[in-house]
Amino acid sequence: MIFLDIAVNSKPMDWFPILLQLGIAVAFAAVMIGATQLLGPKRKTSDKLVNFESGIENVGNARQPMAIKYFLVAILFVLFDVEVIFFYPYAVNFRSLGWDGFLEVLLFITLFLVGFVYIIKKGALQWEE
Amino acid sequence: MPIQYYLYLSLALFCTGIIGALMRRNAIVILMCIELMLNAVNLLLVAFSNHFNDASAQIFVFFIMVVAAAEVSIGLAIIVLMYRRVHSIDINILNRLKN
Amino acid sequence: MNIIIASALLGVVLMLSGVFLNHAKGKRTLAIFASIILMVVAVVDVMQNTNNTILHFNGLMATNSFTAKLNAVIAFCSMLYIFLFSNEISKVGLNDAEYFALIFFALTGVFILTSYQNMFMLFLGIEILSIPQYILAGSDKRNVKSNEASLKYFLMGAFSTGFLLMGITLIYGATGTFDVSKMALMGSGEPSTIALLGILFLIVALGFKASAAPFHVWTPDVYDGSPTAFTPFMASIAKVAIFAAFIHLFHASFAGLAGRWHIIIIAIIVLTLLIGNVTAVYQQSVKRMLAYSSIAQAGFLLFAVYSLNEISQKGILLYGASYMLATMSIFAVLIKMKDYTFDGFNGLAKKQPVLAFAAAIALFSLAGIPLTGGFFGKYYMLNGAMQNGMPIWVLIFAVLMAAISVYYYFKVIQAMYFKTSIQDATEPDAVIDVPFKVMLIINTALLILLGIYPTIVTIF
Repeated sequence: MIFLDIAVNSKPMDWFPILLQLGIAVAFAAVMIGATQLLGPKRKTSDKLVNFESGIENVGNARQPMAIKYFLVAILFVLFDVEVIFFYPYAVNFRSLGWDGFLEVLLFITLFLVGFVYIIKKGALQWEE
Repeated sequence: MPIQYYLYLSLALFCTGIIGALMRRNAIVILMCIELMLNAVNLLLVAFSNHFNDASAQIFVFFIMVVAAAEVSIGLAIIVLMYRRVHSIDINILNRLKN
Repeated sequence: MNIIIASALLGVVLMLSGVFLNHAKGKRTLAIFASIILMVVAVVDVMQNTNNTILHFNGLMATNSFTAKLNAVIAFCSMLYIFLFSNEISKVGLNDAEYFALIFFALTGVFILTSYQNMFMLFLGIEILSIPQYILAGSDKRNVKSNEASLKYFLMGAFSTGFLLMGITLIYGATGTFDVSKMALMGSGEPSTIALLGILFLIVALGFKASAAPFHVWTPDVYDGSPTAFTPFMASIAKVAIFAAFIHLFHASFAGLAGRWHIIIIAIIVLTLLIGNVTAVYQQSVKRMLAYSSIAQAGFLLFAVYSLNEISQKGILLYGASYMLATMSIFAVLIKMKDYTFDGFNGLAKKQPVLAFAAAIALFSLAGIPLTGGFFGKYYMLNGAMQNGMPIWVLIFAVLMAAISVYYYFKVIQAMYFKTSIQDATEPDAVIDVPFKVMLIINTALLILLGIYPTIVTIF
């Protein structure tokens, strides 16, 4: 709550140093980028337009269709990842909810596991046919 | 900070989302604009939650995030399905349905 | 309340049957069995309910005798839907068990929408109802039309969800509560701007979901492009649930502000009736015509949002029941047809008299001809609105539009009974067996029963 106190009791002037710092940071970055552009030597060759891939010669375009499996795993990850959000409110109220809350979270996880079993059985996570 | 500022900010974000969803032709960009609309709502809910000192709005935000994730996963799956069929994610192709 | 848990669990069981059963017939039997269980649970709920409103889950849900009856009507229609269409549903694609599971998940959303008491549940109910429908619309994966219907439905649905959430949030900002009955907005004198803006957003969002004009643009394409086995579910059960939610919200929360939003609802009703009926006249395909006619029927259901009284509550039960039964009947016939145009129905009465009769009664009911359920549905709707002081010209306009609808419904009947065709109208490999015909006859008999004893749904 200390942060909130500062936010509530401060005058706009108190924030001026931060604004100053921000201005200097932006100006510094702009000057540096501009100066290298102006002062640095320029050699235009076709190799420079090629994507840098750690010295290895690049193969083909990056925008190729990928196997659907990557997509599937990514989507499933998003789904299972985001459900964790519900544990935050539970963690905060862990003590006051007691055993009832625990049982309900257990039910939630069970339903979750049913979904997981379904995915495994359906073969969504199998990489080799 | 007055609650009105949050209201204006989130309504502005929401309108940006609406305009983007209506103007753009790329299905994924439309999806992103819709997410922007939902996030504007989330922002406003959190601001109201602080204003009323009521935690239920924050729980609502959690639900919106989860449902949005579920919706996006379905949406992306549908877009992939359509991309594999017509090799484009331009929604103008949808006009083919109109006889 | 048990019905929500039952439908969710049955959905999970059906989903798992997809990986543990590998016999198409077994999965279908399981789905039919599940729909019967759902019906039994609904009937038990009706028996247990008294007239008092009971709160569940810390006030998130509320049930009373009306919601229990509505749930029972919907559960019964879902049972008929599974009976009539289970063959076609398994034929749509490879993942047949998942289609049944998705239908039951969507039904969970339906039952949440009939008895929610908190904006949380309104939002969750609408999403639980919509997300399975996006998948069902695109379930015919090899058909471009189905893919496009799915994408269109998804984009429109997600867009309107944004409006719904903004509306809920603004109302929350004005009242400080998500509870539907506590946010009765009158009390404190003049409503604030954000409350009115919130109501406007909610009208737009629910109008989108209920396919009311001018938010109907997605409806014809989605209903037309989706596999015919799933269109009746979207057009009947899902739509009635959205209307139940619409009416409950406006009845419980915004009835005090009726003067402010009545004019918007009138405008939406007039536009919906006009666009739905007039455009339906020009359609070539019966499936597309039925999509437009479902927009027109939404216009009649919107009368209940205007009136919000006892008569319209009975009206929504009766109209909902007869509309769902009629839609199911006509689609059950349509799905057996080879050609979905009007000419495709030529001479059906000679070859398949039972199918033609069922379709004719369903169309009579949709048009609101007396002695069918649709007539009393429309009568209750208009009567309820009149009691609540709706301008008389809107009612006359509605009756006029119902007269227009008779024209395009009768085009099908004319084709079936008064035109001849050398070919068979039905699909050669369509299964038209005795159980199917029996179900169709039961469906038709119920429609006529509702037209003779309309009180049957309201008293039980």
